[in-house]
Amino acid sequence: MAKVTMVVVTIAAALLLAACTATASAPEATPEPTPSAPREGAVDAHSAELVPVVPIAEPTLIEIPSAGISMVVRAVGVQADGLMELPEETAVAGWYRFGPAPGSESGTTVLASHVDSLEYGIGPFAALRNLVAGSEITVTDSSGTLHRYGVTSVSSVQKQQLPVADLFDRVGPRRLVLITCGGQFDYSTLSYSDNIVVIAEPLP
Amino acid sequence: MRTKKIAATVAVAAVATLGFAAPASAISASTADLYVLHAVPDTTVDVWVNGEVLLPDFAPGTLTDPLDLPAGDYEVVITLPNDPITSPVIGPATLPLAAGNSYTAVAHLDASGAPTATLFTNDLSTIPAGQGKLTVRHTAAAPAVDILANGAAAFSNLTNPNEVKADLPVGTISAAVAATGTTDPVIGPADVTIQEGVNTIVYAWGSLEDDNLALAVQTISGLHSTPDGVNSGQAGLVADPNPALVGSIAAAIALVLLAAVGLGVRAARSAR
Repeated sequence: MAKVTMVVVTIAAALLLAACTATASAPEATPEPTPSAPREGAVDAHSAELVPVVPIAEPTLIEIPSAGISMVVRAVGVQADGLMELPEETAVAGWYRFGPAPGSESGTTVLASHVDSLEYGIGPFAALRNLVAGSEITVTDSSGTLHRYGVTSVSSVQKQQLPVADLFDRVGPRRLVLITCGGQFDYSTLSYSDNIVVIAEPLP
Repeated sequence: MRTKKIAATVAVAAVATLGFAAPASAISASTADLYVLHAVPDTTVDVWVNGEVLLPDFAPGTLTDPLDLPAGDYEVVITLPNDPITSPVIGPATLPLAAGNSYTAVAHLDASGAPTATLFTNDLSTIPAGQGKLTVRHTAAAPAVDILANGAAAFSNLTNPNEVKADLPVGTISAAVAATGTTDPVIGPADVTIQEGVNTIVYAWGSLEDDNLALAVQTISGLHSTPDGVNSGQAGLVADPNPALVGSIAAAIALVLLAAVGLGVRAARSAR
């Protein structure tokens, strides 16, 4: 049925094209395809050979001079409960290793760190809430490349409302997102009410 | 002359319709993605779709980018290069493409070595965070095989033209193919990387008898999920004041003060 529709459509398109050609006059001048011409495919194709996957350079250091932040970055994944894994130490930032890295062609690099802990005290990311638009952030990766970003927004979001699909994006423009906790603290669940989210875009 | 010209224009229109290549994520409510893989050894071919050569001089071991096509039935014929459509090596075969699906049409050998074509449906389901999907397809002139991962049988008794698949933690596995019930590889071992949120589709192709078995690989990305959230504080050392808590603390302090005053009064009285 769909095939029939398509044939009808293509014939209609053909008639339309033929009509256009006719009004443009000199239809007989249309050159015939040359049989000896090199043939080109309408579709791109490539070898399906098994090739090694080249790992991307991992971020190793984040510095925010205006907030006095200089932190080592460690690759992390997800916990069994589905939440993002984080370094226990509040002085270390975790990079979501399943998402983009600063050197990736697209998508958001996500770094997160505990704002505080009973064992390690208050962490450097406690200063994120005081960042202002334009604050500069640099992230160094394992290839030694320095990636510079400018803060575009700092917001406090209720944890349940955290837009994870947007923040952990892999196909949009290159971005850096920093996440920690803030808001009020619930002593019965030992957790904060909000996430502090810093969004930064690459500087030229 | 006129008939010939219209035929030529139909051809142009048909190629224009079919030739629109787009990224994997381009599938819409009315279109399907079609990849084409050539897995017949030693034979370069022309692939015809709906009466037109879509892939001229298509070489063995080659995979196309996905074609975003309107859903429907497509007729595929495979010929030797420059042969007429009336002299097929494979086909004609009808490919029924349903909207929203991803397919790979594979030209390959059947278990006994005769050229054939199989339409596989690619799994586009979301993969849990931290995992990737491995799909293995048997498209080789060979009997049933086991797929070995790191030396042990991961999938057993896979026959041509079938597939097996599983979600696996990200990482690199040493993959090999062996006759069912054996561990002596007929292909590999080769390192296959399981990438997060990616369906890695591995084809065993070629011919056991001709000693040209090989692996071909196709990847479909963008099937990842995200973490559910970020729980990034444990101590409440930098919390904003909680109005409810502040209220109850204030009430508690007031009670203590009242009690103290009461005790003080009583103490003063008893001291008299």
